[in-house]
Amino acid sequence: MTTLWSGLADGALYALVGVGYNIVLLASGVFNFANAQLIMLGTYLAYFAAVTLKLPLVPTVLIGAAAVALIAVAEERLAIRPLMGRRDSHATLITSVGVAVALDGIVLRIWGSQPKSVPAPLSSKPLNLLGGTIEPTALLLIVLVIVVGVGLHILSKKTMIGLGSLASAEDREAAMARGVNVRALAIGAFALAGLIAGAFGVVVGSGTYANPGLGDNLALFGFVAIAIGGSGSQIGSLIGGFATGIIYAEVSRYTNADWPQIVVFALFLLILLTRPRGLFGGAVERQV
Amino acid sequence: MLTVDSIAGGYGDIQVLWGVSASVEAGHVTVVLGRNGAGKSSLLNAVAGFLPTVRSGHVRLGDLELGRLTPFERVRAGLAYVQEGKRVFHRRTVEENLLLGGYTVKRPFLRRGQRLQASVDRAYERFPMLADRRKMTAGRLSGGQQQMLAIAQALIPEPTVLMLDEPSAGLAPAVAKEVFAMVENLKREGLAVLLVEQVVDNALAIADDVIVIDAGRVAASGRVADFDDTTMVRDLYLGRSGAGPGESHGRAPGRSGS
Amino acid sequence: MAPTTAVSPPALPWLRSARPLMMLGLGVLVLVAPWLGLGDYWSRQFILIAILALVVSGLNISLGYAGELALGQVALYAVGAYVAGYLAVSQGVTDILLCLLAAIGGAIVVGFVSGIPGLRLGGWSLAMVTFFLVIIIPNVLDLLSSQTGGALGLSGIPIPTIFGAQLVGDGFYVFVIAVTIIWFAIFRNLISSSHGDAFLVLKQSPILAATLGISVYRLKLLAYVVGAIPAGIAGVLFAFLSAYISPSSFAFALAFTILTASVVGGSQSIYGAIFGAAILQLGPERIASFQNYSLIVYGAFLVVAGLVFSDGIAGLIRSGLSQARRRGWLSGAAPIDTVGPLAVADAAVPTAVDEAAVGPLAGATTVSTPADETAAVIGDLAGEALTVTELRKDFGGVTAVDDVTLEAVPGQVTALIGPNGSGKTTLLNLVCGFYKPTSGSVRLGQVELGGLAPYRSARAGVARTFQTPLIPKGMRARAFVATGRYISHRVSMPASILRLPSFWRGSRDSDAEALRLLTLLGIAHVADSEVASLPLGTRRLVEVARALAAEPKVFLFDEVGSGLDEEDIQRLEEAIELIRRAGGTVVLVEHNFPLVLKIADRIHVLSQGALIASGTPSEIQANRRVLEEYTGSSDTADTIEELERADAAPGPPPAEPR
Repeated sequence: MTTLWSGLADGALYALVGVGYNIVLLASGVFNFANAQLIMLGTYLAYFAAVTLKLPLVPTVLIGAAAVALIAVAEERLAIRPLMGRRDSHATLITSVGVAVALDGIVLRIWGSQPKSVPAPLSSKPLNLLGGTIEPTALLLIVLVIVVGVGLHILSKKTMIGLGSLASAEDREAAMARGVNVRALAIGAFALAGLIAGAFGVVVGSGTYANPGLGDNLALFGFVAIAIGGSGSQIGSLIGGFATGIIYAEVSRYTNADWPQIVVFALFLLILLTRPRGLFGGAVERQV
Repeated sequence: MLTVDSIAGGYGDIQVLWGVSASVEAGHVTVVLGRNGAGKSSLLNAVAGFLPTVRSGHVRLGDLELGRLTPFERVRAGLAYVQEGKRVFHRRTVEENLLLGGYTVKRPFLRRGQRLQASVDRAYERFPMLADRRKMTAGRLSGGQQQMLAIAQALIPEPTVLMLDEPSAGLAPAVAKEVFAMVENLKREGLAVLLVEQVVDNALAIADDVIVIDAGRVAASGRVADFDDTTMVRDLYLGRSGAGPGESHGRAPGRSGS
Repeated sequence: MAPTTAVSPPALPWLRSARPLMMLGLGVLVLVAPWLGLGDYWSRQFILIAILALVVSGLNISLGYAGELALGQVALYAVGAYVAGYLAVSQGVTDILLCLLAAIGGAIVVGFVSGIPGLRLGGWSLAMVTFFLVIIIPNVLDLLSSQTGGALGLSGIPIPTIFGAQLVGDGFYVFVIAVTIIWFAIFRNLISSSHGDAFLVLKQSPILAATLGISVYRLKLLAYVVGAIPAGIAGVLFAFLSAYISPSSFAFALAFTILTASVVGGSQSIYGAIFGAAILQLGPERIASFQNYSLIVYGAFLVVAGLVFSDGIAGLIRSGLSQARRRGWLSGAAPIDTVGPLAVADAAVPTAVDEAAVGPLAGATTVSTPADETAAVIGDLAGEALTVTELRKDFGGVTAVDDVTLEAVPGQVTALIGPNGSGKTTLLNLVCGFYKPTSGSVRLGQVELGGLAPYRSARAGVARTFQTPLIPKGMRARAFVATGRYISHRVSMPASILRLPSFWRGSRDSDAEALRLLTLLGIAHVADSEVASLPLGTRRLVEVARALAAEPKVFLFDEVGSGLDEEDIQRLEEAIELIRRAGGTVVLVEHNFPLVLKIADRIHVLSQGALIASGTPSEIQANRRVLEEYTGSSDTADTIEELERADAAPGPPPAEPR
């Protein structure tokens, strides 16, 4: 059970990245590879605010959320928007990877290559739960990710903004003709993705530390989460993320480190052959 | 109501419109005729804010200059645009499409605003066949129904000007008739309608004013009543004769080079 | 809806025809560079650029031409490297040609293994499968550590030999450059043949491809697997160059370097791969000198490269050239070019081509040849009877086509009319194989078509045009028309690559035939224009020419008249008349009632999926029910609501992926 808990905690991270990918994908059809780096940045800002500035929890979270949202909006403005409205172009893949690399570089430059420890918001005394142990903060992470994922799912299904973003992902120009401010939606999506990434800095960082390899690592697993859950579905990325986390944890318990990756690949092929659009996909067609 | 004053522009370096003027009053229909590729749709795109490059000219809605506004701000200002090719959102349901039409009416969060719902209900009254298909995705509607949905969607925010781009294209004659009857109704309700059409007779039957565009320039314009014979308009739009009556601008001289 | 880059301009025709020679000259220059004083540093850089260019060119085939994002080049590259490494280290095989053969074989096998599941489903799946393929490289290498050295890598790869002689220093350099030149010649010959055009069709419109008789799945798989070959070759060259390979050489970051090089050079280009590779090889090298800031600078470099080169260097040069031409800095643009490549290439935007440029097209019916004479030219179209018997199609409880029986015979125009949603297009889609019938049969001559895949129906002799003409961007009219002959007058891929006589004969014939058909339809003057930028009426005529080129047994015209002005319609009428006189079988779906009455020999009226009337034009005209339901001319005209009750049928043809 302890393995399952730690799998769920890792899975929550992957799901969080997948959710961030989907926010932007649903509103503007762009795959934002830098999303994982935004989460990494969130952990460093949490370290900066909590350790360097010695701020209490609430301002730490607020500062992280605001700063990362700002950076995400800057990314949209500089690296994504100039390319919008062009078809057949894979250029946004490259520019968003460019932003990711630059963020890696900035973090290394400022904080160096040594991981920094981020203080946990809750007690670090492990809880005994359903026959396994888990740290309270990890549990909080799992719960918060589920809340955010489900909340975003509802937002996209039940609100005008969600509807407008689905419409603009389907036909950008027609959405504009109906009065949908597609530019604001795109900016909003990046801001929201940044806000979430920044706000999670403390909860994520206390488990993983603020470390410069975090972005690349999470980017890959977030992609796996989306591949399994189906792009464009928030519930799908939750399930994809958690499933990936659990499989890794369980498989690596019994085999050597090479197998989890291969088992996940096999699982993915299986899903592909039975559910072509991923478990919950379908809202967004080929965008990459 | 809507005034287009010698607009010129196109797509990047390719100029398509060379100083086109047009206007339409409340309760009137102005029909824009012209051959394929003459610049009719580009004119509507320019008014709606979709023409990538506008070099000169003005577009006014009432007293409001639209020139610098984004397409969605123009919708908010009271302009409705039904694009060519029945462009509804195929993956969304009929109801969702109508709600989207009201995006500017009730922007904030929840879908079920009372005012918006009232507008949607009015659309169902006007287009009963949509009411029976609320939950059907728009992609499964027939061509005629999609066209009706597109018009219904555009009417939700209660615009003052409606622009229609070839609404009868690809429709069976009976359905096309319904569309024209609908346009006539809207005109009677006081809407200003700017209509691009290919089917000359049907269009002239409901129009008050006509503009013939040829190679991005106005070849002729005036009141339909002043053209005593529709064949004259037809010849004109096919580029067969010189000028028509009314305030004719004569035929555009061929342009050299590009 | 921004204007997109148009075709590579035929402007500066001398440049176009001289380009392969220029590239070859450049290649030879690079080949002999060591004797022109190229130092060790640069010769190593050149080798690395060549290796990267090989890998990138493979991606260009699948991404730029066949339109499939494949991230797996790294894996195929690794396969090549490890095959060579294993053979050389464990088996003592150092002959580089043998290693190349084995590596190509290995890359092809892995290409098939990953391509079959990845391409079967289309869309994202190839990108996803190949993504996984790359991230499991280290794991697989680790599991095979007795052969691959696992995480530690494979060291001590010996010096390669060729026919027993050692390949070192300049010899190895010359070998690498020569292999690269040969590959790019193959690549270029493949793309500038009918197969290249087929790839372009495939990329932009799988539906059109199927209509031309192309199996979308197989051709995509073929493109992807052909793209695996240079990756495998590059792997061998890299293994022998560095003498040491390890999983870190094949990390996921390399997949992005390759993708970036492809986009920067222009995915849809041949030599762009070399430029992209050079930039991505040399750029980061310089950037490394920024030390602490190198990652930041590299990130910024990627962003800027993505922004500036979003259409590739090739695109940048193209738009630069057309800018220069427009400003009059360059002369020599053929007059027709002002219509073609410069015009906006977006079918959705009605391209207003101005009068001066269109010239002959706007007014002229002048080219129309007397029908008798042309009938002789068109020769005998071996039309076959299309027999539809009790055909039925249900969509989840809704009957879209309800036991329809009808026949279309050669030398006649058979029209299908009916309200929107009455099942006309569904019927065409059943004939073409886009839908499978619920019951009943569709026969063309003696061949049963019902249930065949679309490309098989097309091969059986069905040609079709679309409500919205399906025309790939960046294609000239004569090449587009020639795609109609891709299957019926096929030139094999090896023949195209080796430029065998059969290739020259085939391409000469296709071109002549395309030009002849365009002349026949009176639009010869657009032969060199980009089709997507032509006015709608002309595009429809070009589609008719494309259908004619396939020499089909039956023509299906879906709403050919919609959106056309009266003069265009007249042209079309003449074209259909020509086909009829030549003995072709024509099925026409059309809303223009007067047109149908005029040219149809027999009219079938569908309503709510069922046939409600059949007869000659005069019989139909006298049929009260038809007039009420279809034209609405009676006072008792039904409401749309009632007219279209049967509409739940998905009317339009299968939607194109945007």
